[in-house]
Amino acid sequence: MHIHTLMLSLPLVVEAGTPVYGNDDVERNMVLVEKVAYSKGLSPEAISIMLEFAMSLRMGTILCPRVLKCLIPAAVVPQEAVVRAFVWLGVGKIPVSTQILFIKWVLTVFDMIDAKDQLRAIYGFIFSFVTEENLCPFICHLLYLLTRKESGKQPFLLNLLSLYKVFCPDLVTLSIPSRIKVCTWTVQLMLILPLFNKEAQTEPSSSRKVVPLVQLHSFAQLLENMHRIELPAQMGSLLGSSLALQYLDCVQDESALLRLNFWLGYALHEEFLFCGDGGASQNSEEALQFLNKLLSTQHFLQEGFSSSEAFLYKFLNVWDGSLLRPQILGLLSNIPVIPSSQIRRLLFEPLMQLFFTSSLFFKCGLMECLNNMLLKWLTWHSVYALEDDLDISLNSHTSINMTLSGFKDSVMELVDFVGRLASVGLQLEGCHSLLLSFILDFYETVCDTFLKYGLPLVVIPPTGVFYPALFASDPVSVDRLAYIMYRWGLFISMLQPQAFHISRQTFREFNHYAVVMVNCLWNSKMFQPGMGIQPGEELLLKSNVPQYWMSFDLIHHPAFMSYAVDFHQKCWPGRKDMDLNSIKVRGWYLEYLFSQGYDGLKQFVQSNISRRTYFISSSPRIFLCT
Amino acid sequence: MEKHHNSVTRTPLNSVVVQRRSKSKSYRLSYRSCLGAASRLGLTPALTARRLNTSRRAPKPHNITEKVDAEQLTLLVKTEWQLSYVTPLYQFRHTQLKSYSRQLSAFIAAEKQQGMAVEVEGPQKTFRVSFSLVQGLTESDDDAETVLVQIYSKPLFARQDEPQKPVWSGWLTCINGNPEYLGSLPKDFICLPLFGSSGAEGLTTLVKSWFQQSFDCCFGPLEISHTSLQWLMALWTNCHNEYSIQHLKMIWTLPAVPPLQVTYTVNSEDAWELWGSVRKGNRGGGGGGGGGEEAEEESSIDIEEVRRFMQGLQSHFYRHFRLDLSAGSLNQVSTALGSAKYSGRIKISNSRYMITTLTLLTECALLKMPI
Repeated sequence: MHIHTLMLSLPLVVEAGTPVYGNDDVERNMVLVEKVAYSKGLSPEAISIMLEFAMSLRMGTILCPRVLKCLIPAAVVPQEAVVRAFVWLGVGKIPVSTQILFIKWVLTVFDMIDAKDQLRAIYGFIFSFVTEENLCPFICHLLYLLTRKESGKQPFLLNLLSLYKVFCPDLVTLSIPSRIKVCTWTVQLMLILPLFNKEAQTEPSSSRKVVPLVQLHSFAQLLENMHRIELPAQMGSLLGSSLALQYLDCVQDESALLRLNFWLGYALHEEFLFCGDGGASQNSEEALQFLNKLLSTQHFLQEGFSSSEAFLYKFLNVWDGSLLRPQILGLLSNIPVIPSSQIRRLLFEPLMQLFFTSSLFFKCGLMECLNNMLLKWLTWHSVYALEDDLDISLNSHTSINMTLSGFKDSVMELVDFVGRLASVGLQLEGCHSLLLSFILDFYETVCDTFLKYGLPLVVIPPTGVFYPALFASDPVSVDRLAYIMYRWGLFISMLQPQAFHISRQTFREFNHYAVVMVNCLWNSKMFQPGMGIQPGEELLLKSNVPQYWMSFDLIHHPAFMSYAVDFHQKCWPGRKDMDLNSIKVRGWYLEYLFSQGYDGLKQFVQSNISRRTYFISSSPRIFLCT
Repeated sequence: MEKHHNSVTRTPLNSVVVQRRSKSKSYRLSYRSCLGAASRLGLTPALTARRLNTSRRAPKPHNITEKVDAEQLTLLVKTEWQLSYVTPLYQFRHTQLKSYSRQLSAFIAAEKQQGMAVEVEGPQKTFRVSFSLVQGLTESDDDAETVLVQIYSKPLFARQDEPQKPVWSGWLTCINGNPEYLGSLPKDFICLPLFGSSGAEGLTTLVKSWFQQSFDCCFGPLEISHTSLQWLMALWTNCHNEYSIQHLKMIWTLPAVPPLQVTYTVNSEDAWELWGSVRKGNRGGGGGGGGGEEAEEESSIDIEEVRRFMQGLQSHFYRHFRLDLSAGSLNQVSTALGSAKYSGRIKISNSRYMITTLTLLTECALLKMPI
């Protein structure tokens, strides 16, 4: 009794920080407690108090081991005391040897702890001490004891124990059956391994908690944790996550990007290049999904991956032009600007081979791809060009320096290449209107390079494109050609005052086209001397086309004849005989055509044909080279 | 008026320029590594061995027995290895091998409990893993040190004196790798592109998975191409006057129905003579140069000589059997110095010419790097 009250008063009396040495009171009380402990053992309440006293380090760290050593229970050990002691353990102020002593004590008196449910409840907390190398064996043993008494074998715990066996085989004597049913909890087992990894790292771990990137699900979370994000072990897993990509794009971690590129390049090479002939067809569905994912990622980033670019240069040489065509062409359009010294070898040569041996649909697809590529290059230029000199000085490992003129060269090469492809392609496909439509898309992009993207580039469509469009059998192509000519006219008139150099050749070409177009469509003077296309007189007569000089004006042109007929019927509903010659290419007929939506023709007329002579004979506006 | 602590409103306008530069840096980053790689790896239209070096130094005997630990060397030399290529390892440290040993063994144990098929006798076996450095193999400073991985099986109740034999071995190496490529990688990456393994397939898969998870690398199969096999033949034959190759054996498969397998063995002396005549013929009659010049020429072998050597062998076969071997495919080449199979299996039987063989194989592996 006496001891009991004494001990009860001990912690209340002793203030924190009371010195131990030379403190006779404490010494006397300690001796008393030890005497009782070694003879009869301490009561549960006494254990509670003393344990609390020791683990809280009320009087510093020196007394703690001594107290622990005398904690010999008379009957039971209250579970709450042990739990509270663990809490103190977590505070982290107790020296390691004392921590070990404490755990050893728990192990020794384990069977005397009155209940274990609370201890099991803090299983995870106890588990976290496994990372302390010195404590590890003892903690393992404790956890083993805690779970062993559990009724029924829980497979995940047995998995855990088998792992413990690897590390502390002498402490774990339980025999583990070799076939344990797989449980999803084993996934968590894998999380143990990174804990051991962290131990081994030489860099000091930051005191701030690091958030794995995979755990973030919203942009707001990303912003909050921006400074302490941990990248996953395998960068390839980030490919589908737009959030992760935004982070990577912002942070510009070269190693992280390189890791991603290695994985991506590896996947592309193994799937499409190294697989041998039969491989590609086997997993086409998966390959398709993969490429679609890659495409959407690149679309999101507005930039291609370098590994995908490297892959494409190799793949184009062995591609048949039909395997996963939309995806490959989509990836191709994301290629960044290639220096003009390499563009032929890397891009043009393989594409030429593919183009001339492929179907109409491939040709159209490739046109669209090159159009997108041009658009992306132009967009890139308009975003990144700082003032007037664009200087992307690249890493010294490559000796490529791209300046504004270099960029212009590359764009010129591309446009030139498309012009050649288009000319021959149209011949091969008999001026197919679908192909023509894609080609005219391209030239619409080209004619707007200055007006929309700030790059002063003057490239008129080649004759191989101009004439097929002029004589096309569908009105939309003719209209689009007119639109392109109108834009060119606008552009040239804007450039002239700014004294940009435009070659004489360019002026001549443009003027020539304008003259041909106006004379053909409006003035009904096709095939006359000086009109560019001049088949011999006999040939024209042989064709048996009456009044052949009118055969391609806006009334007789195969594309517009239906409108002429329509107009004729509206004008002269009563007439039985159709006489298209009664319509004149001016005034009401033109208004009627424009009302059908042919804005290209309208704009061309309005800007290029002087109003003065609108009703008599139109003469085109010709540009003089200054 | 309440002050807004919203970071959005406080973004200064002139940081737009800063942002632009960093965006162009990203563009630059992705841009430079591709085209740089394209020029380094010499992209050519066909994925053929034209990308391999067209000439290489003749193999000299390397007395690596003095430099490399004998036990490790024995293991490397007597085993047939299955080859793979590996992309550069991220944050692999040669100083952490002990830690890696522990991690890999824990990984294998955990995977085993999950039911991964690992063929070992008896249910109660654990594995002990050991990572070690093989020092003395690399010559240049750019190459990272070779790493050897061995897995020993530990029966549950093993006696102390029971010697443990490894049930699985593997190594990662880089011998005379292209210094430009190696130098272009950031410091975080270690390039050990050549991986050889020997042992149970299940364990190989586990080891590869562990590497992939720990260092974010990728493993892919490495075949020894037709040209590489020719090179090995030529290089090995070239060593004959210093170390007898005993025979030159080739295994071909011809596309007949059923496929015809031809084993073509050439006497070492005959092979040496043929090789000599190919070499002499190449250099023509100009022997006026100084001694040093001649030595220089002699020490380098050109791809043309290799091709002519092969053509010589093929035409000899044709003369006797009226079978054109060039219509078929070469599957295996072996001499006393080693054997190489198209499927990617290599055995180096003598340590003296190991460096040359590994140099060629490292080159093959580096060619498979995606960027």
